[in-house]
Amino acid sequence: MKNFSKLIYPYVIWMTIMIIVPMLMIVLYAITVRGNDVLTLQFTLGNFLRFFEDSIFPSVLWRSLKMAFFTTIICIAVGYPAAFVMAKMKPNNAAMCVLLVTLPMWINMLVRTYAWRGILTRISLSSEINVYIGMVYNFLPFMILQIYTSLSKIDPNLIIASHDLGANDRETFLRVILPLSLSGVVSGITLVFLPAVSSFFIPKLLGGGQYVLIGNLIEEYFISTGDWNFGAAISLIMAIIILISMYVTRKLDKETPEAND
Amino acid sequence: MSWSKIIKVTTAISLLFPLVGCTGGEKEVEEAGDAKELFGCNVINIYNAGEYIDESVVPNFEKMYNAKVNYDTFESNEMMYTKLLGGNSYDVLVPSDYMIEQLMQEGLLQKLDQSAMTNKGMLDPFVIEMQKVFDPELEYAMPYFWGNVGLVYNKENVSEDDLKTQGWDILKNEKYKGRIYFYDSQRDGFMIAFKALGYSMNTDNTEEIQAAYQWLREMNETMEPAYVTDEVIDEMVNGSKDIAVMYSGDATYVMSENEDLGWYAPEQGTNLWIDAMVIPKNATCPGLANAFINYAISEDVQVKNTEFVAYTPVLTKVIEDMGGEDGDFSEISSFIPRTEYEKDEVFHYNPELKRQLSDLWNKVKIN
Repeated sequence: MKNFSKLIYPYVIWMTIMIIVPMLMIVLYAITVRGNDVLTLQFTLGNFLRFFEDSIFPSVLWRSLKMAFFTTIICIAVGYPAAFVMAKMKPNNAAMCVLLVTLPMWINMLVRTYAWRGILTRISLSSEINVYIGMVYNFLPFMILQIYTSLSKIDPNLIIASHDLGANDRETFLRVILPLSLSGVVSGITLVFLPAVSSFFIPKLLGGGQYVLIGNLIEEYFISTGDWNFGAAISLIMAIIILISMYVTRKLDKETPEAND
Repeated sequence: MSWSKIIKVTTAISLLFPLVGCTGGEKEVEEAGDAKELFGCNVINIYNAGEYIDESVVPNFEKMYNAKVNYDTFESNEMMYTKLLGGNSYDVLVPSDYMIEQLMQEGLLQKLDQSAMTNKGMLDPFVIEMQKVFDPELEYAMPYFWGNVGLVYNKENVSEDDLKTQGWDILKNEKYKGRIYFYDSQRDGFMIAFKALGYSMNTDNTEEIQAAYQWLREMNETMEPAYVTDEVIDEMVNGSKDIAVMYSGDATYVMSENEDLGWYAPEQGTNLWIDAMVIPKNATCPGLANAFINYAISEDVQVKNTEFVAYTPVLTKVIEDMGGEDGDFSEISSFIPRTEYEKDEVFHYNPELKRQLSDLWNKVKIN
């Protein structure tokens, strides 16, 4: 068996080239001055100071976090009942529902968001609501599938036992099903919150350019302005925030009992 | 950006599929010689803006010279610049005026082989005059398309009097609140504000920049404009809103698709722009690249490109033929942009200003 561990090497090489090296380059850009060449690197913290000096950049960051937070809450509120109903279905029907939930993902996300644009420009809602619709629409399937998986893993005998011991449906749900399904909710949160906080094309396409999020700022500074150093600094600030939120969700995950362990 | 393009192109391709067998019958292209014998190489890489060339031009050129062309497209000058700095090698680029100025200053371009440019005598004198703004000796660039920036409006819903008396300031007229498309670029955004206030759009005077910033903020707060780029083309064809800031070439296209639309270039002045072909220093086959550039300004190619793209061509004869009485664009006022008007200007490259305006432009949109 020991020899199998060598199989991880291709992935390690891949990860080094595709993830570690680019990350290091982002760090390097973020802490250096514009227009450097390799021989005369000038280090600075100016890019970070520039971000926090002006209240608009932190306000965009705050807006992105808020948007991702509420998107996640809405996804849980809509996704949990859906997953719950699916988990109670007969296996064939449940499989059908899983298929229906994943079906939209067969089409590219960009094309689907573009289709929403066509619909939403004809109904005049505020650009904020448009962006919420796009976010929830795109990320809801991830939440439903995660919760559904954890719910369907619960041993039915546990529910029978709960009823035997005198718990009614409500108590059974709150004291048995909900705690056992929390691990699904937590991984759903990771899968919704992280892409939502960094999404740039959904606000761009559905917000009519009026709704700038942190992902749009990064895109703007890399592509339109050509200020890679500041763009890299914003990316790094966001990466740190994502790391923190992953740490927090991990902690939450550990505190919840696993369904099958 | 060009999501709209991706979808349009895909749809177009899928629609064309059953028809492929029926086309053909085009007149044969004349062979001009074998690229390998003439220039010692037979492959060039061309990097052009999206939807900016007729589909037959590249295949015809390949046949003429028994050569291979790798054709790639970009969404913006800045994106092209990023790719170029990333070490990609190209033989022909088609950037805009200010970007060519930047590439020249940074020493990234090589001079064109003027002896190969047998078609340049047909260039429009005004186009040459514009080129001199960024390429004073006419050594590095060869014009491709040109135009200006103005307002496309719905003739039924927008009063012409308002347009004429207010010019760019109509974008702050609350009568049209929520019915405006604004171009999402710091360059065009600030150009409008500078012109509305009577300044030069190449100003770097701090007070004038602040005034323009205030103008844009007020516009953003009172008018709730939608900030768009290429998607404005489809939206105006569909008549989604009443006023849009647009490039004259795009205006020509939308007006040929929707008769309710009109075009107005405000008297406060506007941005004259020109896109031109250049050869980077690190080109691998400059001989063939020069041959392509000369081919691209031949009358035949200019006509085909203009029919397809609807932008304004650079040859006097083609402008007059296609914009004249029997031309494809005879009824469309944006096809021949205003020339020789002192308040119209060409952009200059100014890195410090660009950076400052980018920050301010982001602030305008965030508020």
